[in-house]
Amino acid sequence: MSILDKMQRIDRRYIYLAAWIFVLFPLYYPLGLPVPIGRESKAWYNYIEAIPDDSVIIVSMDYGVSGMPELYPMTVATMHHLWDNCLERNWKIIVLAFWNQGPLVFDTLLSQIDPAAKYNVVYGEDWVELGWVPGSETGMAALATDMWGQTPRDYLEDRPLSEYPIMADIRTAEDVDLVISIETGTPGLPEWLRQWNDPFGVPFIVGCIGVSVPGMAPYLASGQLSALLPGLTASGEYELLLSRPGLAVAGLDAVSMSHLLVVLLVLIGNVAYFASRGKEAS
Amino acid sequence: MTTMWELIGVWTAVFFTLAIYSFLYGENPWFRLAEHIFAGVSVGYAVAFNLDYLRDQWVNKWSLSGTLMLLYIIAILFGILWYARFTKQYFFAYRWTLAIIVGTGIGMALRTVIFTQFLNQIMAQARLSLWVPGDLLQSFSNTMIAIMVPCVLLYFWFTGPARDKAPMSYIEKFARYTMMAGFGAAFGYTVLTRYSLFIGRAQFLLGITPNPPEARMAFYVIAATILITLFAKDHLFKKT
Repeated sequence: MSILDKMQRIDRRYIYLAAWIFVLFPLYYPLGLPVPIGRESKAWYNYIEAIPDDSVIIVSMDYGVSGMPELYPMTVATMHHLWDNCLERNWKIIVLAFWNQGPLVFDTLLSQIDPAAKYNVVYGEDWVELGWVPGSETGMAALATDMWGQTPRDYLEDRPLSEYPIMADIRTAEDVDLVISIETGTPGLPEWLRQWNDPFGVPFIVGCIGVSVPGMAPYLASGQLSALLPGLTASGEYELLLSRPGLAVAGLDAVSMSHLLVVLLVLIGNVAYFASRGKEAS
Repeated sequence: MTTMWELIGVWTAVFFTLAIYSFLYGENPWFRLAEHIFAGVSVGYAVAFNLDYLRDQWVNKWSLSGTLMLLYIIAILFGILWYARFTKQYFFAYRWTLAIIVGTGIGMALRTVIFTQFLNQIMAQARLSLWVPGDLLQSFSNTMIAIMVPCVLLYFWFTGPARDKAPMSYIEKFARYTMMAGFGAAFGYTVLTRYSLFIGRAQFLLGITPNPPEARMAFYVIAATILITLFAKDHLFKKT
């Protein structure tokens, strides 16, 4: 087998080994590559900064543990941003999930951040966690018209919603000023658009995995989606805007290196392919 | 101070991460074990959450009056009919529940889908400003969108002889380049997502804050163990 053939038939295990090396090396020895702030992360940051005082904000955890590596850093950064401004701006934050592993992800977040100790926010007055709402799109529609009926008890303390002052005036989608959905798939953006954005005019912003971005871009361009935070790279930029570097920033060198590997492999494959084709022709 | 249970949790998580990744080497028993346990745990978790939700609904809403109780029981009975799928004799009953789910789902979506995913998109396209003062890049981007969208729409116009002649042949070529660019962007983002998932697990394995630092030692020990067993298995099978 010639070298050109070998270049086109690299054993996949060597490629996986190279992927491990390209990812682990910058995690062991951070390279400190520059991180320019992109338009999306800046728009996301500015949008949250511009949320009016006294707003009611829903944060929907529409992903499971499998989406955590990419979405968890942006969830942490967004919750820091919200809780940090919660008291001063009198925001009311409702955390819920349309994915059944969403509460599990938020449990992990609460095991790392104590909002009461760090931001003096009071559970039940400034924020509340309603937990999982089943039924996918049907559940979303039902929640929009009757929040108390869909989630009669909260998730964290398992008490009736009537015991929480924050929920006193929040009954339907008309009482909500913004939805922040952090999501990996269905239910997600199209369902929020169909059941909350269009019928009730609730604006919403989405943090998503990279693979979903091409499908979401048209909604951003049309203005139906107010801001979009796409993937780990944008999460890292957002962490830098908040001056709170976390897991996303720590992973950005590895992202760059891994993409470099993919480009190298594409180049090797193409060079070998065209060279062997030229050789055959001659 | 890490408790014994937390330590066991970390080592278990590291083991399952590496067992799943061992598939990169090839099909093996470690991967199979992890895969089956993962599937079982996921289903168990979902069932427990569903039952918990049903209980909450019953206690706080549906048990408050006789009519509500009856409606709740009817809904539960329809839910149980899902399991009729597993018998040939009562398979037809499963279709009733399926019909309700599909019917309500489609009804809910169709209510607004024509606006959110069709008309609003067309209106946004029609409103596009080709010239954005002070932003040359945005102006270029908007102009490209204004050309590309109709071209791609025309690409899927399959009828009539005009398709093979100019100007349709040029439009078709331009639409193909447009779609290739779109697929390229999708591929790039897919690579980002797949590697992000891997990077997240790698950060866990290396115990990078806020992940537990104990994971790093577990990573070295378990990775070595799994690799040795995989090589040994290969070696033994080759000999026999």
